[in-house]
Amino acid sequence: MITLHSDQLVFRFPDIDADVGIGINFQRTLRIPDDGSDHHLPPGLGRFPLRHIEDFDLGGSNNRKTRGGIIMPMFQSDALWLNFHDLGRGRAELPVALKIGAGKINAVSGEKWAAGLSQTPQNYVVLPGQPWLDGFNVEKGKVRQFVAMPLGQGYTVEEQIDPQSDVGGIQIEAFPMKKAVFEKLKAKREVAPAMHFNAMMPESASAPMDMGLGMGGSMRQEIYDDEYGLKAWDLENGLRCFIMLANAEQWMAVTGEEPPLSPISVQDYNEAGLPWFDYYDGDRKAIEGAKALGNIKSVKAVAQDKREPIWPDEELEPNGMVEKIIPIKVPDGSW
Amino acid sequence: MYSFGSYVRIRREALNADDKSMSVRQVAQRIGVEPAFLSKVERDVAPPPSEAKIVALAKELGEDPDLLLAMAGKVSSDLQEIIRKRPQLFAELLRQLKGQPDHAILYIVRQVSDGNW
Repeated sequence: MITLHSDQLVFRFPDIDADVGIGINFQRTLRIPDDGSDHHLPPGLGRFPLRHIEDFDLGGSNNRKTRGGIIMPMFQSDALWLNFHDLGRGRAELPVALKIGAGKINAVSGEKWAAGLSQTPQNYVVLPGQPWLDGFNVEKGKVRQFVAMPLGQGYTVEEQIDPQSDVGGIQIEAFPMKKAVFEKLKAKREVAPAMHFNAMMPESASAPMDMGLGMGGSMRQEIYDDEYGLKAWDLENGLRCFIMLANAEQWMAVTGEEPPLSPISVQDYNEAGLPWFDYYDGDRKAIEGAKALGNIKSVKAVAQDKREPIWPDEELEPNGMVEKIIPIKVPDGSW
Repeated sequence: MYSFGSYVRIRREALNADDKSMSVRQVAQRIGVEPAFLSKVERDVAPPPSEAKIVALAKELGEDPDLLLAMAGKVSSDLQEIIRKRPQLFAELLRQLKGQPDHAILYIVRQVSDGNW
């Protein structure tokens, strides 16, 4: 089952274990410069609000409600990253294979959304090993930032791969580890203290309602190989959720709530002396980048082609303050 | 079962091992209490702080505020307000559900819908 708790999607799998699950929230963040450099990871500036989509009258977009799921406000050019959590200390950590789509283009493999899981190429991330995802997997060890753009203007990744597509939003599908495999894993881990999965990173009115995700600047982030193998995942008990990205300028009219403020600029962030981040897990192997995403144009490149000055100057460089984050681990044996 | 104070101390010290901004002094400063007071709370010498301070502390520790409030013997004011508006209904609901396992209770929590996509 999927529930909403404090602007977080909570996936639970009671058929596997009544006490375990994962949380996913969507962090507002700085839009990093698209300047040819590979930047460090930007901070989390708080969660985007999430609401049940069926609670609201979406006017001309009411047909989108047939997808179910949730609605989340973003301004054009807002950037986000996905933050993955377990459900709290003291609970066993259920490994989960997670597929993430942007307009039904798989953000990890670059392929069109398809049922199930694949390892050739890998089309999912594995939790808890993967603490977050900031963008599209364009190269080994490199992603391009998720940036919200209106549909119908050619900026989104899905429209570049399939010009007829207007799905938009974010799609998530989670497959838990099979019960028998998980029981073995739990038994082994009960001997050692639980591995900590601390993914907290220091944490126009007439515009179309629907948004999709385009590619922003490049940053260093690895997407890790599946250490368990395809047979470990329970494809019969997957859960999925469609997240509609609503233009934040219409959020107030639709929900009666104030939309979140646009994030501060890179300049303001640097002037406050705040850090950027680097995550390193030397025990895990990164997968290759998605070939299908290698030729996709960034939002900035599309805007230049169209001669549309949609973004302000990006001459500012992130400052040199980088905090390295290293996962806390316990030894892992055979099981 | 940990006391409120010992649980906070264990969690804070675990985070402080990797992040020196999680010292008693700095956490106290960020949540708006004196370091000496937070230290006493962690040693169970002083009672837990106010609801607002516990919520701020939960945010610092990456914990669920409802969990920390419950450990402090408190119920958040928004939940109290919900019950006060329909006291008989919610009192009866909670009594009916008190013996149910977690997964049974979760089935009556509103779920995120899934449709055609």
